[in-house]
Amino acid sequence: MESLYYFFCLYANLKPQSLNNFYQKSLYKEFSFAFILPGDVLIMSDKDDSEIPVITEATSVLEGANCEPPENSESVDQSTETENKSEPIVSTRKRPESKPASDIETAEVFPVQESESKDVPQTGWGYWGSWGKSLLSSASATVATVGQGISNVIEKAETSLGIPSPSEMSPEAKYAAGETNAKDNENSFPMAGPFGVFSTISTAVQSTGKTVITGGLDALEFIGKKTMDVIAEGDPGFKRTKRLMNRNSTLSQVLREAKEKEELWTYNEVTMETDKKTHYGLLFDEFQGLSHLEALEMLSRESEIKVKSILSSLSGEELQTLKLELEQLKEAFSLAEFCDEEEEEKKGDEDFTKEITELFSQLHVSSKPEKLTRRAGGCCFLSPLVQARNTAHEWIITSLTKPLAEEEEGGKQLEAGTPEQLNKNSVEDIHAFAIRSLAELTACSIELFHKTAALVLHSQKQEVTAIERSRTLSQMTVALCNELSSLSKEFTTCLTTAGVKEKADVLNPLITAVFLEASNSASYIQDAFQLLLPVLEISLIENKTGSLRQELQVQTPLSEH
Amino acid sequence: MEAIWLYQFRLIVIGDSTVGKSCLIRRFTEGRFAQVSDPTVGVDFFSRLVEIEPGKRIKLQIWDTAGQERFRSITRAYYRNSVGGLLLFDITNRRSFQNVHEWLEETKVHVQPYQIVFVLVGHKCDLDTQRQVTRHEAEKLAAAYGMKYIETSARDAINVEKAFTDLTRDIYELVKRGEITIQEGWEGVKSGFVPNVVHSSEEVVKSERRCLC
Repeated sequence: MESLYYFFCLYANLKPQSLNNFYQKSLYKEFSFAFILPGDVLIMSDKDDSEIPVITEATSVLEGANCEPPENSESVDQSTETENKSEPIVSTRKRPESKPASDIETAEVFPVQESESKDVPQTGWGYWGSWGKSLLSSASATVATVGQGISNVIEKAETSLGIPSPSEMSPEAKYAAGETNAKDNENSFPMAGPFGVFSTISTAVQSTGKTVITGGLDALEFIGKKTMDVIAEGDPGFKRTKRLMNRNSTLSQVLREAKEKEELWTYNEVTMETDKKTHYGLLFDEFQGLSHLEALEMLSRESEIKVKSILSSLSGEELQTLKLELEQLKEAFSLAEFCDEEEEEKKGDEDFTKEITELFSQLHVSSKPEKLTRRAGGCCFLSPLVQARNTAHEWIITSLTKPLAEEEEGGKQLEAGTPEQLNKNSVEDIHAFAIRSLAELTACSIELFHKTAALVLHSQKQEVTAIERSRTLSQMTVALCNELSSLSKEFTTCLTTAGVKEKADVLNPLITAVFLEASNSASYIQDAFQLLLPVLEISLIENKTGSLRQELQVQTPLSEH
Repeated sequence: MEAIWLYQFRLIVIGDSTVGKSCLIRRFTEGRFAQVSDPTVGVDFFSRLVEIEPGKRIKLQIWDTAGQERFRSITRAYYRNSVGGLLLFDITNRRSFQNVHEWLEETKVHVQPYQIVFVLVGHKCDLDTQRQVTRHEAEKLAAAYGMKYIETSARDAINVEKAFTDLTRDIYELVKRGEITIQEGWEGVKSGFVPNVVHSSEEVVKSERRCLC
C-alpha cells in the first residue's frame, strides 16, 4: 500500500513537467490527490459512517462546498498539503463546464468530500464499468479545451490554475510552512477508494467530443510553463518540478528521471520482488519504451528545425501556400472521435490486429507489408505490438474463465487455502500482469511511431501524401488508445472477479492503478503521435519540392557495399 | 528484472549494412541467433547487465543502428550520446572492412566534444573459409586507431560476451580514473544505484590506489 502510494506520488510529481501537453499531464496530478484524500478518509473513518454518494453527485459535491474553509478540516496538516498541490489542477478539470471555477471553491471542497466518500471504497466496482472509456476520452477532452482558442485557454489557465486571490494567499503561506511536517507524514498515508478520481473524471467527460487541435505545441508549451511556474510559486512541493522545467526537459527525459528515481526508491524501499514487478516506469523502460521515445523526439526535433529553416527561407505566395498546406496537415493530426464503448466491445481479437495492420500498410512506409502480419520472428516492429496485445488478451480470457467456472460450482472456494486457489491468479498477479501488459503495449506503440518516423523520413518513394498519412496515423493512435482502454477494462473485470472476496482497501488501489496506468499509457501514445507532426511536415515539404532531399542531406555519404 | 548497477553505459554499434550488427547484439542480449533478420530501421534498443567484478554490475544500453545508407543521417545523431562503440565489419566482405576508415572519420566529426571508446569487431568468424580480411591486417588497422580488435561469431557464439565485456571494462577503467566523467546532458555514462556497502568499499579501494604487489 505504502509503496503504491509512493509510486503515485512519484508519478504525480514528475509527470506534469512535460511541456508539450500540459493538460494531459495535469491528469496525473489530479490522480495523486485522489489517492491521498481517501487515505485521509481512512484515517478518520472510525468517526462516523455517512451516506454512500452516487457518482453523479460528485460534481455537485465539488460545487456546493464553497462555504467551508479548509481550516475547519479535521486533518489540516495532511490534507492541506495535498490540497495545495492538487487544487489548481482540479480547477482545470472543471474548465470544460461553463461555470467558471475559482480557486477558493475547489480548495475548500475536499474536507466535505472526505466525509462523504468515506464508505465508497466498501462498495462494489460496478460503477467503474464505463470508466475506462471516459478515462481516455477525458485525455482528449483536455486537448479539446485547447481548441477553444489559445487566448481563451491562457486566460482560463490564469484564472483557474493561477494567480492566487488575496483571500487565499494567507492560508497558502500557512500550508507552505506546515509542509515539512506534512511531508513526514506523507509516506504513512494509506490509499483507498477512487472517489476523487471519479468526481473529476466525470466532469471531464461531459465535455468530450471531437478533438480539434487548433493551437500548436508552442501554445501548450507556453501555457504549460506559465502554469507550472504559478503552481511552483504557490507550492513548495513543486520545486523539483520547476527545476526540471527550467532545464527544458523533453518528455523522455522527464520520464527517464522519474524512472531513475523509481529505481532508486525501489532499491531502497522495496524488498519484495513482486513489488518491483508492478512499476510501470521500470517496465516501460525494460520494453525500451523510453529509448524509442527519446529517438522519436530526436527525429521530431530535427524535423522541426528543418521546417523552420525552410519556412524562413520562403516568402510571398510560396510561403502562403505552404503555410496553408501545413495548416491542413495539422488539422489531420487532430484525433478522431473515440469509438463508442459498445462498438468497441463487439470487436473480436482479430479485429485489432487486422485494423492496425491495415492502417500500417496504408502508410506505405514499409517495402514489405506482407511481413507485418507474420507473428513469429519478431524482427518487424509491428509484430511485437500485436504479440503483446494478443498475449494480454489470451491471458485475460484464461484468467476470466477459470474463476467463473469455479464460482458456478461452489462459490465459496475463493477463500484462501483451497486447492482451487492454487490454479488461479491472485489479484496481485493480475495487477502485475496488467501493469506489465500496459507498459509493453505502450512501449511497442511508441516503437511503432518511432519506426514510422524513420521510414517516413527516409523512404525512397512516397505513394501517399503526408496528409493521408497523418489521417492514418491519427486513426492508429485512436485504435491504440481504444485498445488500451478495453484492455484496462478487461483487466479490472479480472480483478473484480478474482478479488470478489478481497477487502476493498486491497482491491481498489489495484484497480485504480490499472486505470491510472492505462491513462498514462494513452497520453504517452498521444504525445508520441504529436511528435510525428514535424516529421510529416518535412515529408510534405519534401514531396512538394522533390529535390529538397539532396539539399538537406549535406553530409558526405558512406557507400554501403 | 531491474537489478542494481554501478553505472549505465550507452554503447553504439555501427558498421556497414549486413555485417551482422543486430545479430551480434541479439546473441549478446537474448542469447539466440536469428537465421533471418530484417534490416534495422533507424535504430533499435537493447539492454543487458554485465558483471565486471563480483558484485559490480554495469548496465549496458545498446543502440543498434541501421547500416543502410538511407538512415545514415539518423544514426549520426546518436554518436554524441554514446560512451562506447562496436565498429563491425564482416570478415567475408572486404568492402565492409575498407569502410571502417570512413566510419571512424564520420564518428570523429559527430561525437564532438565527447569521445567514444571503440572496439573493432571482425564479425562472422565462423565463415573462416570465405575470409577476405586477415586477422593481421585488421589488427594493424585497429592499432593504428588505438582500438582493440576482436573476431566474433553470433551464429556460433564466439567471443560475443568478450567483445562487450572487454569494452565495458575498458570504459569502466577510464571512468574510474576520471578520464571519462558523468556530465549533465550527456547520456553516455550514468551513475547507477549502489548499495551503501559497495559505495564505502569503493572509496576504500580508491584511496588505497590499488596495491598490485
